[in-house]
Amino acid sequence: MPDPILSINNLSISFANPEGERTHAVRDVSLDLTPAKTTAVVGESGSGKSVTALSVLRLLQSPPARYEAGSILFTNNKSDPPADLLALSEADIRAIRGNDIAMIFQEPMTSLNPVIPIGSQITESIRLHRPVSPKQANALALAALKDVGIDRGPAALKSYPHEFSGGMRQRVMIAIALACEPRVLIADEPTTALDVTIQAQVLDLINNLRTQRDLAVMLITHDLGLVAEHADHVTVMYKGRVVEQGPIRAILDTPIHPYTRGLLDAAPAIDRKARRLTTIADATAADRTLTANGSTRTAWWPGDTGPAPELIDITPGHRVLVQTHQAPQPA
Amino acid sequence: MDARTEAPTRKPRRRRARDLPAKLGAIVLILIFGACLGSLPWTAAPVGFSDDQSAGSVPRYNAGSPADARLPPNWFPDKENGEQFSALGTDHLGRSLFVRALTGGGISLGIGLAAAFIAVGIGTVYGAIAGYAGGPTDAVMMRAVDVLYGLPYILLVVLLAVASDAAIDEYITRSKERASFVYAQTITNPQAPADLTRTAAEAWRDDHPAIAAQIDTAALAAVPPRQVSQTTRSALDVATLFIAIGGVSWLTLARVIRGQVLSLKAQPFIEAARAAGAHPVRIFFRHLLPNLVGPIVIYVTLTVPQAVLQESFLSFLGIGVKPPLPSWGNLAADGLSEVNPYKSHWWLLAVPSALLGITLLALNFVGEGLRERLDPRRAIKDSDT
Repeated sequence: MPDPILSINNLSISFANPEGERTHAVRDVSLDLTPAKTTAVVGESGSGKSVTALSVLRLLQSPPARYEAGSILFTNNKSDPPADLLALSEADIRAIRGNDIAMIFQEPMTSLNPVIPIGSQITESIRLHRPVSPKQANALALAALKDVGIDRGPAALKSYPHEFSGGMRQRVMIAIALACEPRVLIADEPTTALDVTIQAQVLDLINNLRTQRDLAVMLITHDLGLVAEHADHVTVMYKGRVVEQGPIRAILDTPIHPYTRGLLDAAPAIDRKARRLTTIADATAADRTLTANGSTRTAWWPGDTGPAPELIDITPGHRVLVQTHQAPQPA
Repeated sequence: MDARTEAPTRKPRRRRARDLPAKLGAIVLILIFGACLGSLPWTAAPVGFSDDQSAGSVPRYNAGSPADARLPPNWFPDKENGEQFSALGTDHLGRSLFVRALTGGGISLGIGLAAAFIAVGIGTVYGAIAGYAGGPTDAVMMRAVDVLYGLPYILLVVLLAVASDAAIDEYITRSKERASFVYAQTITNPQAPADLTRTAAEAWRDDHPAIAAQIDTAALAAVPPRQVSQTTRSALDVATLFIAIGGVSWLTLARVIRGQVLSLKAQPFIEAARAAGAHPVRIFFRHLLPNLVGPIVIYVTLTVPQAVLQESFLSFLGIGVKPPLPSWGNLAADGLSEVNPYKSHWWLLAVPSALLGITLLALNFVGEGLRERLDPRRAIKDSDT
């Protein structure tokens, strides 16, 4: 496996409510993004996927958010030592936003400024990061639009967002994100608001650009179908923690953590006899014992007490969140 | 693929019919504004008046002979009987009401516009900063607005008008400056005891009238009152009114803009701009302000009539535009006293009131029309259908 371009290490984030009590939205999350690969982050609402994604570019409002622990290492140049994004100054992180690391959001209908022509919105990020003339910026914007399949000539630059459909707006968002040729693309549920055919188009587009440009993609979603089709690696999050991560085949074929199994069972399948959909069952009481190796290990479940949970490799690269209980020494 | 070809090329009939009052209002407004503001050089031009040479030249709006007092409008004069054409009649000093109504309109509308611009200038910046900064800054700034809101509007205007009036008075007469000069001279006078307080110095001056008179003469020579022409003085008075009315009209706009900014700030496109690496100041000017144009334009059209009414009211109370300078408000106030059961000089009340009414109605129609046109929810509904 090639070196990661971006690695999130043991990231913990908490939010304060007005009374000053802190809620941990993300605990001890680690994941790597590799060039030309798609890393999917899946999980239910509130599992901490979006918070993790936003924290990469430090887009969380702080306060109330606080980075409790961990680091986000970004290797822009192979020769340079990786930089910790959490330790950068505000000006330095702004130079990275949109330039080296770009982001697309889940709301194509509202992620574009309604009163500014899309041309200016694409050139904005180009002109923020590149010393180009307005003319060159326009040419780059036109090229970016062409790359995402909007080939209507210079007139398209003068159009307003309301003149585009949802799918086209998401393409424009992708054009904006990729205009500066970033190394990393964070797609926070890029297709949630789109219908299925447009979803496929948009994801194919992201995939093509990924292979063409060696782009590392972080795909945040709760659609397992998308994950199966487009991801190379999967990280499953639940209640702010990574419960299982690994190569796509390993996760789909041999899920280990009860939450991952529940998630996969809950996906409707066309080749199965119609029945009630499974829900994620409460596994508190279930037997979660894993392979014992001199000690007892149980897959972590919310509410568990005892030893601190840790991610361990089941097979190389396939990791599961477990608690290791010291077994009573055999006499 | 081209979305624009699908857009309806004609506006629906219903919508055009609804635009009609706004269009009529706009035409009426342009006519009235053009006539009143465009004729100012003519109506304010000095004219010599033959009956009273000693008065020298007076502006046209103030020129008239008591012989022509209270002539009704006369459009078809009987020249042989010595009658003269009079468009809108004359007032109790024989001044042409037509000329005075034009000048008054210039002043009233000028105040309205100036107040609106001051309100927009302060209100937009204040509200936008409060909304954008959020947190404690927002709380402090908006509580200040709440406090000002709590004070009666008219009281604030009156206080501002009186305070700036006093400041202008001091600027012209320099009485305080002269008093300080006198005090300084008194305590440095070799015959006066050292370290006198201000009151003690006054008492000492009363005991030594000769020295006091000497100092007073010196003071008048050293700190003379400023020479200010009547025109400048009235211009300053009007400027005071601009500031007083504008200074209290921004409160509502500040609240409206803050609310808008708060909701815009949560819009994904603002976050998208942050993710693109834009500086907060840039986001403010490039992404927030353009989205605020709608509410601002609408508020302007609603503030102008409010300020015109406010000025009329203040003039009516006697703290607004001072005679002989006319405004629609004090023309109407003067006209009211001319209406009596013995002989009603109706035109003196009817003309300024009608002009005021028509203008306000037109402004409200235009404001309403713009509100319809610029409402974002409406725009979304239109584009969806």
